Amino acid sequence: MSLGRPEFVGHIEVRGLTKRFGSFTAVDHLDFEVRPGRITGFLGPNGSGKTTTLRMLLGLIRPTAGTATIDGHRYVEIDNPLTVVGSALEATNFHPGRTGRDHLRVQAAVAGVPDRRVDELLELVGIPAAARKRAGGYSMGMRQRLGLAAALLGDPKVIILDEPANGLDPEGIRWLRGFLRQLADEGRTLLISSHMLSEVEQTVDDVVIIANGERVAQGTVQELRGDPTAYVRTSDPERLADALTSRGLTVTPKGAGLRVTTEDLAVVGDAAHAADVAIHELRAEQTHLEELFFNLTESEEHRNRNLVGVSTADLPPPTGAPIDPALLVDAPQEDRR
Amino acid sequence: MIPAIRSEFRKFFTTRLWWGMLIPTVLAGGLFAWLAATLIAGSQQPGAAPAPDLDNPQMVSTVYTFGLNISRLILLAIGVLMVGSEYRHKTITGTFLGTPKRARVMGAKVVALLVIGALYGVVQTAASFGVGAFIINNRGFPILPDGAARTLALSLLVLGLWGLIGLGAGILIPNQVAALLIAVGVAWIVEPLLGLLFASQDWGKSIAPYLPSNATNAVVNAIETNPNGATQLSWWAGALALLAYAVVMAGLGTWRTLRADIS
Repeated sequence: MSLGRPEFVGHIEVRGLTKRFGSFTAVDHLDFEVRPGRITGFLGPNGSGKTTTLRMLLGLIRPTAGTATIDGHRYVEIDNPLTVVGSALEATNFHPGRTGRDHLRVQAAVAGVPDRRVDELLELVGIPAAARKRAGGYSMGMRQRLGLAAALLGDPKVIILDEPANGLDPEGIRWLRGFLRQLADEGRTLLISSHMLSEVEQTVDDVVIIANGERVAQGTVQELRGDPTAYVRTSDPERLADALTSRGLTVTPKGAGLRVTTEDLAVVGDAAHAADVAIHELRAEQTHLEELFFNLTESEEHRNRNLVGVSTADLPPPTGAPIDPALLVDAPQEDRR
Repeated sequence: MIPAIRSEFRKFFTTRLWWGMLIPTVLAGGLFAWLAATLIAGSQQPGAAPAPDLDNPQMVSTVYTFGLNISRLILLAIGVLMVGSEYRHKTITGTFLGTPKRARVMGAKVVALLVIGALYGVVQTAASFGVGAFIINNRGFPILPDGAARTLALSLLVLGLWGLIGLGAGILIPNQVAALLIAVGVAWIVEPLLGLLFASQDWGKSIAPYLPSNATNAVVNAIETNPNGATQLSWWAGALALLAYAVVMAGLGTWRTLRADIS
Protein backbone atom coordinates (compact mmCIF):
# COMPACT_ATOMS: atom_id res chain seq x y z
CA MET A 1 0.00 0.00 0.00
CA SER A 2 1.48 3.29 -1.02
CA LEU A 3 0.98 5.97 1.55
CA GLY A 4 -0.45 9.02 -0.15
CA ARG A 5 2.27 11.65 -0.17
CA PRO A 6 5.88 10.45 -0.36
CA GLU A 7 7.29 13.88 0.54
CA PHE A 8 6.12 13.39 4.12
CA VAL A 9 7.80 10.87 6.42
CA GLY A 10 5.70 11.66 9.45
CA HIS A 11 8.06 13.19 11.97
CA ILE A 12 6.24 15.24 14.59
CA GLU A 13 8.21 17.77 16.56
CA VAL A 14 6.93 19.85 19.46
CA ARG A 15 9.26 22.57 20.75
CA GLY A 16 8.64 24.91 23.66
CA LEU A 17 4.91 24.62 23.08
CA THR A 18 2.96 26.78 25.51
CA LYS A 19 -0.68 27.72 25.83
CA ARG A 20 -2.10 30.06 28.40
CA PHE A 21 -5.83 30.67 28.76
CA GLY A 22 -5.85 33.85 30.81
CA SER A 23 -3.87 33.06 33.95
CA PHE A 24 -4.26 29.32 33.47
CA THR A 25 -1.31 27.61 31.81
CA ALA A 26 -2.64 24.54 30.05
CA VAL A 27 0.58 23.57 28.29
CA ASP A 28 3.93 24.72 29.59
CA HIS A 29 7.07 24.70 27.43
CA LEU A 30 6.38 21.23 26.16
CA ASP A 31 9.06 19.45 24.12
CA PHE A 32 8.73 16.03 22.54
CA GLU A 33 9.01 14.28 19.26
CA VAL A 34 7.23 11.45 17.57
CA ARG A 35 9.37 9.21 15.43
CA PRO A 36 8.16 8.11 12.01
CA GLY A 37 6.66 4.67 11.62
CA ARG A 38 6.12 4.14 15.35
CA ILE A 39 3.17 4.26 17.71
CA THR A 40 3.62 6.87 20.40
CA GLY A 41 1.38 6.96 23.43
CA PHE A 42 0.67 10.47 24.72
CA LEU A 43 -0.22 9.88 28.33
CA GLY A 44 -1.30 12.01 31.21
CA PRO A 45 -4.06 12.41 33.78
CA ASN A 46 -7.26 14.09 32.69
CA GLY A 47 -6.76 17.83 32.36
CA SER A 48 -3.01 17.54 31.93
CA GLY A 49 -3.10 19.35 28.57
CA LYS A 50 -3.12 16.45 26.12
CA THR A 51 -6.06 17.62 24.06
CA THR A 52 -4.86 21.22 24.03
CA THR A 53 -1.48 20.02 22.77
CA LEU A 54 -3.04 17.93 20.01
CA ARG A 55 -5.30 20.81 18.98
CA MET A 56 -2.29 23.12 18.75
CA LEU A 57 -0.50 20.54 16.63
CA LEU A 58 -3.56 20.48 14.33
CA GLY A 59 -3.85 24.25 13.99
CA LEU A 60 -7.12 24.50 15.92
CA ILE A 61 -5.67 26.36 18.90
CA ARG A 62 -3.08 29.11 18.58
CA PRO A 63 -0.03 28.45 20.75
CA THR A 64 0.99 31.24 23.11
CA ALA A 65 4.58 30.29 22.32
CA GLY A 66 6.54 27.50 20.70
CA THR A 67 5.95 25.36 17.65
CA ALA A 68 4.38 22.07 16.72
CA THR A 69 5.30 20.77 13.29
CA ILE A 70 4.86 17.76 11.05
CA ASP A 71 7.97 17.18 8.95
CA GLY A 72 8.89 20.78 9.62
CA HIS A 73 5.55 22.22 8.50
CA ARG A 74 2.89 23.76 10.65
CA TYR A 75 -0.44 22.01 10.02
CA VAL A 76 -2.01 25.09 8.45
CA GLU A 77 0.81 25.25 5.91
CA ILE A 78 0.17 21.74 4.61
CA ASP A 79 -1.73 21.66 1.36
CA ASN A 80 -4.72 19.29 1.56
CA PRO A 81 -3.73 18.22 5.09
CA LEU A 82 -6.19 15.32 5.29
CA THR A 83 -3.95 13.37 2.91
CA VAL A 84 -0.99 13.83 5.27
CA VAL A 85 -2.45 13.89 8.77
CA GLY A 86 -5.60 12.07 9.80
CA SER A 87 -7.04 12.82 13.19
CA ALA A 88 -9.95 11.94 15.43
CA LEU A 89 -10.27 14.32 18.35
CA GLU A 90 -13.62 13.71 19.99
CA ALA A 91 -16.28 11.17 19.38
CA THR A 92 -18.94 13.88 19.49
CA ASN A 93 -18.15 15.93 16.42
CA PHE A 94 -21.00 14.73 14.24
CA HIS A 95 -24.17 16.43 13.11
CA PRO A 96 -26.88 14.25 14.66
CA GLY A 97 -29.11 14.59 11.59
CA ARG A 98 -26.49 13.47 9.10
CA THR A 99 -25.69 9.81 8.45
CA GLY A 100 -22.23 8.55 9.29
CA ARG A 101 -21.62 7.85 5.63
CA ASP A 102 -22.58 11.37 4.65
CA HIS A 103 -20.36 12.75 7.39
CA LEU A 104 -17.46 10.96 5.74
CA ARG A 105 -18.58 12.14 2.29
CA VAL A 106 -18.44 15.75 3.51
CA GLN A 107 -14.81 15.20 4.56
CA ALA A 108 -14.10 13.15 1.43
CA ALA A 109 -15.08 16.12 -0.72
CA VAL A 110 -12.43 18.27 0.98
CA ALA A 111 -9.75 15.60 0.72
CA GLY A 112 -10.62 14.89 -2.90
CA VAL A 113 -11.40 11.26 -2.12
CA PRO A 114 -14.07 9.28 -4.01
CA ASP A 115 -17.17 7.87 -2.29
CA ARG A 116 -15.82 4.38 -3.01
CA ARG A 117 -13.12 4.96 -0.40
CA VAL A 118 -15.78 6.04 2.10
CA ASP A 119 -17.52 2.68 1.74
CA GLU A 120 -14.22 0.79 1.96
CA LEU A 121 -13.40 2.50 5.24
CA LEU A 122 -16.84 1.85 6.69
CA GLU A 123 -16.23 -1.85 5.99
CA LEU A 124 -12.78 -1.61 7.52
CA VAL A 125 -13.99 -0.15 10.82
CA GLY A 126 -16.95 -2.50 10.84
CA ILE A 127 -19.98 -0.19 10.62
CA PRO A 128 -21.11 -0.37 6.96
CA ALA A 129 -24.82 -0.82 7.72
CA ALA A 130 -25.08 1.51 10.69
CA ALA A 131 -23.38 4.26 8.71
CA ARG A 132 -26.55 4.74 6.69
CA LYS A 133 -28.48 5.76 9.78
CA ARG A 134 -28.34 9.24 11.28
CA ALA A 135 -25.40 9.76 13.61
CA GLY A 136 -27.60 11.06 16.43
CA GLY A 137 -28.43 7.50 17.46
CA TYR A 138 -24.90 6.14 17.48
CA SER A 139 -23.34 4.54 20.51
CA MET A 140 -20.01 5.82 21.78
CA GLY A 141 -18.25 2.84 20.25
CA MET A 142 -19.77 3.53 16.83
CA ARG A 143 -18.78 7.17 17.07
CA GLN A 144 -15.21 6.15 17.82
CA ARG A 145 -15.17 3.87 14.80
CA LEU A 146 -16.68 6.54 12.59
CA GLY A 147 -14.08 9.02 13.83
CA LEU A 148 -11.37 6.51 13.04
CA ALA A 149 -12.73 6.05 9.52
CA ALA A 150 -12.73 9.83 9.07
CA ALA A 151 -9.11 10.00 10.18
CA LEU A 152 -8.12 7.41 7.57
CA LEU A 153 -10.00 8.96 4.62
CA GLY A 154 -7.04 10.64 3.01
CA ASP A 155 -4.69 7.66 3.46
CA PRO A 156 -2.54 9.80 5.76
CA LYS A 157 1.03 9.14 6.83
CA VAL A 158 0.38 10.52 10.30
CA ILE A 159 -2.58 9.51 12.45
CA ILE A 160 -3.47 11.44 15.60
CA LEU A 161 -6.12 10.00 17.90
CA ASP A 162 -7.39 11.61 21.09
CA GLU A 163 -8.55 8.96 23.56
CA PRO A 164 -9.60 6.47 20.88
CA ALA A 165 -10.42 3.76 23.40
CA ASN A 166 -12.94 5.88 25.32
CA GLY A 167 -16.33 4.25 25.19
CA LEU A 168 -15.15 1.03 23.62
CA ASP A 169 -16.01 -2.26 25.28
CA PRO A 170 -13.17 -4.74 26.01
CA GLU A 171 -13.83 -6.45 22.68
CA GLY A 172 -13.66 -3.08 20.92
CA ILE A 173 -10.39 -2.23 22.69
CA ARG A 174 -8.88 -5.52 21.55
CA TRP A 175 -10.03 -4.77 18.01
CA LEU A 176 -8.56 -1.26 18.24
CA ARG A 177 -5.17 -2.57 19.38
CA GLY A 178 -4.92 -4.89 16.42
CA PHE A 179 -6.11 -2.18 14.07
CA LEU A 180 -3.58 0.37 15.31
CA ARG A 181 -0.76 -2.15 15.11
CA GLN A 182 -1.74 -2.90 11.52
CA LEU A 183 -1.69 0.80 10.67
CA ALA A 184 1.78 1.14 12.17
CA ASP A 185 2.99 -1.93 10.29
CA GLU A 186 1.93 -0.19 7.10
CA GLY A 187 4.54 2.44 7.92
CA ARG A 188 2.31 5.10 9.44
CA THR A 189 3.17 7.30 12.39
CA LEU A 190 0.62 7.14 15.18
CA LEU A 191 0.18 9.51 18.10
CA ILE A 192 -2.44 8.29 20.55
CA SER A 193 -3.46 10.07 23.70
CA SER A 194 -4.89 8.34 26.70
CA HIS A 195 -5.39 8.88 30.41
CA MET A 196 -5.22 5.11 30.96
CA LEU A 197 -1.82 3.49 30.77
CA SER A 198 -3.34 0.01 30.50
CA GLU A 199 -5.27 0.98 27.37
CA VAL A 200 -2.17 1.74 25.38
CA GLU A 201 0.77 0.10 27.13
CA GLN A 202 0.55 -3.06 25.07
CA THR A 203 0.08 -1.16 21.84
CA VAL A 204 2.61 1.64 21.83
CA ASP A 205 6.34 1.66 21.10
CA ASP A 206 7.14 5.02 22.65
CA VAL A 207 5.61 7.00 25.47
CA VAL A 208 5.38 10.69 26.26
CA ILE A 209 3.94 11.41 29.68
CA ILE A 210 2.75 14.86 30.68
CA ALA A 211 1.26 16.31 33.81
CA ASN A 212 0.15 19.88 34.39
CA GLY A 213 1.12 20.65 30.81
CA GLU A 214 4.75 19.70 31.37
CA ARG A 215 6.61 16.68 30.12
CA VAL A 216 7.35 14.18 32.86
CA ALA A 217 8.89 11.38 30.86
CA GLN A 218 9.65 10.36 27.32
CA GLY A 219 11.18 7.18 25.97
CA THR A 220 10.45 3.77 24.61
CA VAL A 221 8.14 1.59 26.62
CA GLN A 222 11.06 -0.79 27.19
CA GLU A 223 13.26 1.93 28.67
CA LEU A 224 10.55 3.33 30.89
CA ARG A 225 9.42 -0.04 32.15
CA GLY A 226 12.90 -0.67 33.46
CA ASP A 227 13.99 -4.14 34.54
CA PRO A 228 11.28 -6.29 36.09
CA THR A 229 11.63 -6.58 39.87
CA ALA A 230 10.19 -8.74 42.59
CA TYR A 231 9.56 -7.82 46.22
CA VAL A 232 10.20 -10.36 48.89
CA ARG A 233 9.80 -10.29 52.67
CA THR A 234 11.49 -12.97 54.65
CA SER A 235 12.46 -14.10 58.16
CA ASP A 236 16.15 -13.46 57.41
CA PRO A 237 16.78 -10.80 54.82
CA GLU A 238 20.56 -10.89 55.03
CA ARG A 239 20.79 -14.59 54.44
CA LEU A 240 18.34 -14.49 51.55
CA ALA A 241 20.17 -11.54 50.03
CA ASP A 242 23.41 -13.50 50.08
CA ALA A 243 21.72 -16.50 48.53
CA LEU A 244 20.20 -14.41 45.75
CA THR A 245 23.41 -12.52 45.07
CA SER A 246 25.31 -15.75 44.77
CA ARG A 247 22.84 -16.73 42.05
CA GLY A 248 23.82 -13.58 40.16
CA LEU A 249 20.74 -11.48 40.99
CA THR A 250 20.82 -7.83 42.01
CA VAL A 251 19.32 -7.28 45.43
CA THR A 252 18.56 -4.02 47.21
CA PRO A 253 16.85 -3.55 50.56
CA LYS A 254 13.37 -2.07 50.33
CA GLY A 255 11.36 -1.34 53.46
CA ALA A 256 11.14 -4.47 55.55
CA GLY A 257 12.03 -6.65 52.61
CA LEU A 258 14.19 -6.92 49.53
CA ARG A 259 13.84 -5.87 45.91
CA VAL A 260 15.20 -8.44 43.50
CA THR A 261 15.82 -7.67 39.84
CA THR A 262 14.12 -10.59 38.16
CA GLU A 263 10.84 -11.44 36.52
CA ASP A 264 10.99 -15.05 37.71
CA LEU A 265 9.47 -15.37 41.18
CA ALA A 266 10.32 -19.08 41.26
CA VAL A 267 14.02 -18.25 41.34
CA VAL A 268 13.50 -16.27 44.53
CA GLY A 269 11.38 -18.99 46.06
CA ASP A 270 13.91 -21.68 45.20
CA ALA A 271 16.77 -19.63 46.60
CA ALA A 272 14.85 -19.09 49.85
CA HIS A 273 14.05 -22.76 50.10
CA ALA A 274 17.69 -23.72 49.49
CA ALA A 275 18.87 -21.13 52.06
CA ASP A 276 16.25 -22.42 54.50
CA VAL A 277 14.57 -19.07 55.19
CA ALA A 278 10.82 -18.54 55.43
CA ILE A 279 9.08 -16.32 52.90
CA HIS A 280 6.40 -14.00 54.27
CA GLU A 281 5.59 -12.23 51.04
CA LEU A 282 6.66 -12.59 47.45
CA ARG A 283 5.23 -10.66 44.52
CA ALA A 284 6.12 -9.07 41.22
CA GLU A 285 6.48 -5.31 41.56
CA GLN A 286 4.91 -2.68 39.36
CA THR A 287 7.11 -1.65 36.51
CA HIS A 288 8.74 1.73 36.72
CA LEU A 289 6.31 2.97 34.06
CA GLU A 290 3.25 1.80 35.98
CA GLU A 291 4.58 3.29 39.19
CA LEU A 292 5.41 6.56 37.50
CA PHE A 293 1.99 6.84 35.94
CA PHE A 294 0.20 5.77 39.07
CA ASN A 295 2.00 8.38 41.14
CA LEU A 296 1.09 11.01 38.59
CA THR A 297 -2.59 10.24 38.58
CA GLU A 298 -2.76 9.89 42.34
CA SER A 299 -0.58 12.70 43.66
CA GLU A 300 -2.42 15.77 44.83
CA GLU A 301 -0.30 18.25 42.84
CA HIS A 302 -1.13 16.49 39.60
CA ARG A 303 -4.81 16.25 40.20
CA ASN A 304 -6.82 17.58 37.34
CA ARG A 305 -6.76 21.31 37.75
CA ASN A 306 -9.73 21.79 35.45
CA LEU A 307 -11.87 19.52 37.44
CA VAL A 308 -14.70 21.26 39.19
CA GLY A 309 -16.88 18.18 39.46
CA VAL A 310 -16.16 15.07 41.41
CA SER A 311 -12.97 13.94 43.00
CA THR A 312 -12.38 10.32 43.89
CA ALA A 313 -13.13 11.21 47.50
CA ASP A 314 -16.74 11.90 46.50
CA LEU A 315 -17.19 8.52 44.92
CA PRO A 316 -18.94 5.74 46.79
CA PRO A 317 -16.72 3.30 48.64
CA PRO A 318 -15.72 0.21 46.68
CA THR A 319 -18.54 -1.96 47.87
CA GLY A 320 -19.27 -3.27 44.44
CA ALA A 321 -22.29 -1.03 44.15
CA PRO A 322 -22.72 0.36 40.64
CA ILE A 323 -21.32 3.84 40.15
CA ASP A 324 -23.05 6.32 37.93
CA PRO A 325 -20.75 6.39 34.90
CA ALA A 326 -21.43 10.11 34.46
CA LEU A 327 -19.56 10.73 37.69
CA LEU A 328 -16.51 8.98 36.38
CA VAL A 329 -16.16 10.69 33.06
CA ASP A 330 -13.96 13.53 34.20
CA ALA A 331 -12.71 12.15 37.45
CA PRO A 332 -9.04 11.23 37.67
CA GLN A 333 -9.04 7.52 37.32
CA GLU A 334 -6.83 5.13 39.09
CA ASP A 335 -5.31 2.52 36.92
CA ARG A 336 -3.57 -0.13 38.87
CA ARG A 337 -3.60 -3.72 37.93
CA MET B 1 -11.30 26.29 -2.88
CA ILE B 2 -13.38 24.01 -5.15
CA PRO B 3 -13.15 20.99 -2.77
CA ALA B 4 -14.19 23.19 0.16
CA ILE B 5 -17.21 24.48 -1.81
CA ARG B 6 -18.21 20.95 -2.81
CA SER B 7 -17.97 19.97 0.85
CA GLU B 8 -20.29 22.85 1.83
CA PHE B 9 -22.91 21.68 -0.67
CA ARG B 10 -22.70 18.15 0.69
CA LYS B 11 -23.13 19.49 4.23
CA PHE B 12 -26.23 21.39 3.17
CA PHE B 13 -27.94 18.62 1.22
CA THR B 14 -27.22 15.77 3.68
CA THR B 15 -29.47 16.94 6.50
CA ARG B 16 -33.19 17.49 6.49
CA LEU B 17 -32.77 21.25 6.69
CA TRP B 18 -32.75 21.86 2.95
CA TRP B 19 -36.17 20.47 2.17
CA GLY B 20 -37.57 21.56 5.51
CA MET B 21 -36.78 25.10 4.43
CA LEU B 22 -37.72 24.63 0.79
CA ILE B 23 -41.33 23.68 1.50
CA PRO B 24 -42.22 26.95 3.27
CA THR B 25 -40.35 28.82 0.54
CA VAL B 26 -42.60 27.33 -2.12
CA LEU B 27 -45.74 27.84 -0.05
CA ALA B 28 -44.82 31.43 0.75
CA GLY B 29 -44.09 32.14 -2.91
CA GLY B 30 -47.46 30.85 -4.10
CA LEU B 31 -49.63 32.09 -1.23
CA PHE B 32 -48.20 35.58 -1.07
CA ALA B 33 -48.48 36.04 -4.84
CA TRP B 34 -52.14 35.08 -4.55
CA LEU B 35 -52.60 37.37 -1.55
CA ALA B 36 -50.95 40.36 -3.24
CA ALA B 37 -52.84 39.90 -6.50
CA THR B 38 -56.14 39.56 -4.68
CA LEU B 39 -55.52 42.62 -2.49
CA ILE B 40 -54.54 44.79 -5.45
CA ALA B 41 -57.50 43.61 -7.48
CA GLY B 42 -59.80 44.16 -4.50
CA SER B 43 -58.66 47.76 -4.05
CA GLN B 44 -60.40 48.74 -7.28
CA GLN B 45 -63.63 50.27 -5.95
CA PRO B 46 -66.08 51.67 -8.48
CA GLY B 47 -66.54 55.41 -7.92
CA ALA B 48 -63.44 55.79 -5.74
CA ALA B 49 -60.22 57.33 -6.96
CA PRO B 50 -58.52 54.77 -9.21
CA ALA B 51 -55.83 52.81 -7.33
CA PRO B 52 -52.90 51.30 -9.26
CA ASP B 53 -54.10 48.03 -10.75
CA LEU B 54 -52.34 44.96 -12.06
CA ASP B 55 -51.54 46.76 -15.29
CA ASN B 56 -49.03 48.85 -13.30
CA PRO B 57 -45.54 47.24 -13.65
CA GLN B 58 -44.65 47.96 -10.02
CA MET B 59 -47.82 46.23 -8.89
CA VAL B 60 -46.92 43.21 -10.99
CA SER B 61 -43.43 43.16 -9.45
CA THR B 62 -45.04 43.32 -6.04
CA VAL B 63 -47.19 40.29 -6.81
CA TYR B 64 -44.19 38.30 -8.00
CA THR B 65 -41.96 39.25 -5.06
CA PHE B 66 -44.36 39.53 -2.11
CA GLY B 67 -43.28 36.07 -0.95
CA LEU B 68 -39.73 37.37 -0.56
CA ASN B 69 -40.86 38.82 2.78
CA ILE B 70 -40.92 35.26 4.06
CA SER B 71 -38.28 33.58 1.94
CA ARG B 72 -35.66 36.19 2.73
CA LEU B 73 -36.09 35.28 6.40
CA ILE B 74 -35.72 31.62 5.45
CA LEU B 75 -32.48 32.32 3.64
CA LEU B 76 -31.38 34.45 6.59
CA ALA B 77 -31.94 31.45 8.84
CA ILE B 78 -30.12 29.12 6.44
CA GLY B 79 -27.17 31.49 6.43
CA VAL B 80 -27.08 31.59 10.23
CA LEU B 81 -27.34 27.79 10.46
CA MET B 82 -24.57 27.26 7.95
CA VAL B 83 -22.10 28.43 10.59
CA GLY B 84 -24.14 28.06 13.76
CA SER B 85 -24.81 24.35 13.40
CA GLU B 86 -21.11 23.74 12.82
CA TYR B 87 -20.31 25.29 16.18
CA ARG B 88 -23.28 23.70 17.87
CA HIS B 89 -22.44 20.16 16.75
CA LYS B 90 -18.69 20.82 16.79
CA THR B 91 -18.35 19.79 13.16
CA ILE B 92 -16.37 23.03 12.79
CA THR B 93 -13.39 21.03 14.13
CA GLY B 94 -13.55 18.64 11.19
CA THR B 95 -14.14 21.51 8.80
CA PHE B 96 -11.03 23.39 9.94
CA LEU B 97 -9.01 20.16 9.96
CA GLY B 98 -9.88 19.67 6.31
CA THR B 99 -9.37 23.31 5.39
CA PRO B 100 -7.11 24.89 8.01
CA LYS B 101 -7.05 28.22 6.18
CA ARG B 102 -10.21 29.46 7.81
CA ALA B 103 -10.86 32.38 5.49
CA ARG B 104 -11.09 29.82 2.70
CA VAL B 105 -13.80 27.98 4.62
CA MET B 106 -15.78 31.20 4.94
CA GLY B 107 -15.25 31.94 1.25
CA ALA B 108 -16.56 28.49 0.35
CA LYS B 109 -19.63 29.11 2.48
CA VAL B 110 -20.24 32.44 0.74
CA VAL B 111 -20.13 30.83 -2.71
CA ALA B 112 -22.30 27.92 -1.62
CA LEU B 113 -24.86 30.26 -0.04
CA LEU B 114 -25.11 32.47 -3.11
CA VAL B 115 -25.85 29.39 -5.21
CA ILE B 116 -28.27 28.00 -2.62
CA GLY B 117 -29.98 31.40 -2.43
CA ALA B 118 -30.35 31.41 -6.21
CA LEU B 119 -31.74 27.85 -6.18
CA TYR B 120 -34.31 28.77 -3.56
CA GLY B 121 -34.97 31.92 -5.56
CA VAL B 122 -35.73 29.88 -8.68
CA VAL B 123 -38.18 27.72 -6.74
CA GLN B 124 -39.83 30.61 -4.96
CA THR B 125 -40.03 32.65 -8.17
CA ALA B 126 -41.53 29.74 -10.06
CA ALA B 127 -44.23 29.44 -7.41
CA SER B 128 -44.90 33.18 -7.27
CA PHE B 129 -44.87 33.58 -11.02
CA GLY B 130 -47.08 30.53 -11.56
CA VAL B 131 -49.79 31.77 -9.20
CA GLY B 132 -49.38 35.50 -9.93
CA ALA B 133 -49.29 35.22 -13.71
CA PHE B 134 -52.41 33.05 -13.64
CA ILE B 135 -54.39 35.72 -11.77
CA ILE B 136 -52.99 38.63 -13.79
CA ASN B 137 -53.70 36.83 -17.04
CA ASN B 138 -57.25 36.11 -15.90
CA ARG B 139 -57.76 39.84 -15.33
CA GLY B 140 -56.61 40.41 -18.90
CA PHE B 141 -53.35 42.22 -18.19
CA PRO B 142 -49.92 41.33 -19.62
CA ILE B 143 -48.05 38.98 -17.32
CA LEU B 144 -44.58 40.30 -18.17
CA PRO B 145 -44.74 44.12 -18.41
CA ASP B 146 -41.55 46.21 -18.65
CA GLY B 147 -39.06 45.31 -15.96
CA ALA B 148 -40.94 42.26 -14.64
CA ALA B 149 -38.41 39.83 -16.07
CA ARG B 150 -35.60 41.78 -14.40
CA THR B 151 -37.50 41.69 -11.13
CA LEU B 152 -37.81 37.93 -11.35
CA ALA B 153 -34.09 37.55 -12.02
CA LEU B 154 -33.17 39.93 -9.22
CA SER B 155 -35.19 38.03 -6.66
CA LEU B 156 -32.58 35.27 -6.97
CA LEU B 157 -29.89 37.81 -6.12
CA VAL B 158 -31.91 39.14 -3.20
CA LEU B 159 -32.22 35.70 -1.63
CA GLY B 160 -28.51 35.05 -2.10
CA LEU B 161 -27.72 38.35 -0.39
CA TRP B 162 -30.06 37.62 2.51
CA GLY B 163 -28.33 34.28 2.89
CA LEU B 164 -25.05 36.16 3.16
CA ILE B 165 -26.46 38.51 5.78
CA GLY B 166 -27.47 35.43 7.78
CA LEU B 167 -24.01 33.94 7.28
CA GLY B 168 -22.51 37.17 8.55
CA ALA B 169 -24.72 37.06 11.63
CA GLY B 170 -23.85 33.37 12.09
CA ILE B 171 -20.11 34.00 11.91
CA LEU B 172 -20.40 37.00 14.19
CA ILE B 173 -22.50 35.17 16.81
CA PRO B 174 -21.28 31.56 17.01
CA ASN B 175 -24.09 30.59 19.39
CA GLN B 176 -26.62 29.21 16.95
CA VAL B 177 -29.76 29.82 18.97
CA ALA B 178 -28.78 33.36 19.90
CA ALA B 179 -27.79 34.14 16.32
CA LEU B 180 -31.09 32.82 14.95
CA LEU B 181 -33.21 34.71 17.46
CA ILE B 182 -31.31 37.93 17.01
CA ALA B 183 -31.13 37.77 13.22
CA VAL B 184 -34.75 36.86 12.62
CA GLY B 185 -35.96 39.11 15.42
CA VAL B 186 -34.14 42.11 14.04
CA ALA B 187 -35.05 41.41 10.42
CA TRP B 188 -38.68 40.65 11.12
CA ILE B 189 -39.65 42.97 13.96
CA VAL B 190 -37.03 45.54 14.91
CA GLU B 191 -36.05 46.59 11.42
CA PRO B 192 -39.60 47.24 10.10
CA LEU B 193 -40.35 49.26 13.25
CA LEU B 194 -37.17 51.27 12.71
CA GLY B 195 -38.29 51.76 9.12
CA LEU B 196 -41.59 53.26 10.29
CA LEU B 197 -39.76 55.49 12.77
CA PHE B 198 -37.22 56.74 10.26
CA ALA B 199 -39.84 57.34 7.60
CA SER B 200 -41.91 59.46 9.99
CA GLN B 201 -39.00 61.75 10.89
CA ASP B 202 -37.37 64.33 8.68
CA TRP B 203 -33.90 63.25 9.76
CA GLY B 204 -34.71 59.61 9.18
CA LYS B 205 -36.03 59.95 5.66
CA SER B 206 -32.55 59.78 4.16
CA ILE B 207 -31.64 56.68 6.18
CA ALA B 208 -34.82 54.68 5.68
CA PRO B 209 -34.16 53.58 2.08
CA TYR B 210 -30.96 51.84 3.19
CA LEU B 211 -32.69 49.59 5.69
CA PRO B 212 -32.59 45.96 4.55
CA SER B 213 -36.30 45.52 3.84
CA ASN B 214 -36.53 48.78 1.91
CA ALA B 215 -33.34 48.00 0.02
CA THR B 216 -34.84 44.61 -0.84
CA ASN B 217 -37.98 46.22 -2.21
CA ALA B 218 -35.82 48.59 -4.22
CA VAL B 219 -33.93 45.72 -5.85
CA VAL B 220 -37.10 43.98 -7.01
CA ASN B 221 -39.00 47.22 -7.74
CA ALA B 222 -41.83 46.39 -5.36
CA ILE B 223 -43.97 49.02 -3.68
CA GLU B 224 -42.79 50.34 -0.33
CA THR B 225 -44.42 48.70 2.65
CA ASN B 226 -43.98 51.92 4.62
CA PRO B 227 -46.94 54.27 4.10
CA ASN B 228 -44.86 57.44 4.30
CA GLY B 229 -42.02 55.76 2.49
CA ALA B 230 -39.14 57.88 1.44
CA THR B 231 -37.77 57.69 -2.07
CA GLN B 232 -36.66 54.26 -3.19
CA LEU B 233 -33.07 53.43 -4.14
CA SER B 234 -32.26 52.20 -7.62
CA TRP B 235 -32.04 48.42 -7.85
CA TRP B 236 -28.25 48.30 -7.87
CA ALA B 237 -27.93 50.67 -4.94
CA GLY B 238 -30.37 48.48 -3.02
CA ALA B 239 -28.30 45.40 -3.85
CA LEU B 240 -25.12 47.18 -2.74
CA ALA B 241 -26.78 48.17 0.54
CA LEU B 242 -27.71 44.53 1.21
CA LEU B 243 -24.23 43.43 0.24
CA ALA B 244 -22.75 45.98 2.63
CA TYR B 245 -24.70 44.52 5.56
CA ALA B 246 -23.44 41.04 4.65
CA VAL B 247 -19.83 42.12 4.13
CA VAL B 248 -19.57 44.12 7.35
CA MET B 249 -20.94 41.32 9.52
CA ALA B 250 -19.16 38.46 7.76
CA GLY B 251 -15.95 40.48 7.71
CA LEU B 252 -16.01 41.21 11.44
CA GLY B 253 -16.97 37.63 12.22
CA THR B 254 -14.28 36.15 9.99
CA TRP B 255 -11.65 38.43 11.43
CA ARG B 256 -12.49 37.04 14.84
CA THR B 257 -12.86 33.45 13.66
CA LEU B 258 -9.36 33.46 12.20
CA ARG B 259 -7.99 34.06 15.68
CA ALA B 260 -10.35 31.96 17.73
CA ASP B 261 -9.29 28.77 19.49
CA ILE B 262 -11.46 25.86 18.44
CA SER B 263 -11.84 23.53 21.38
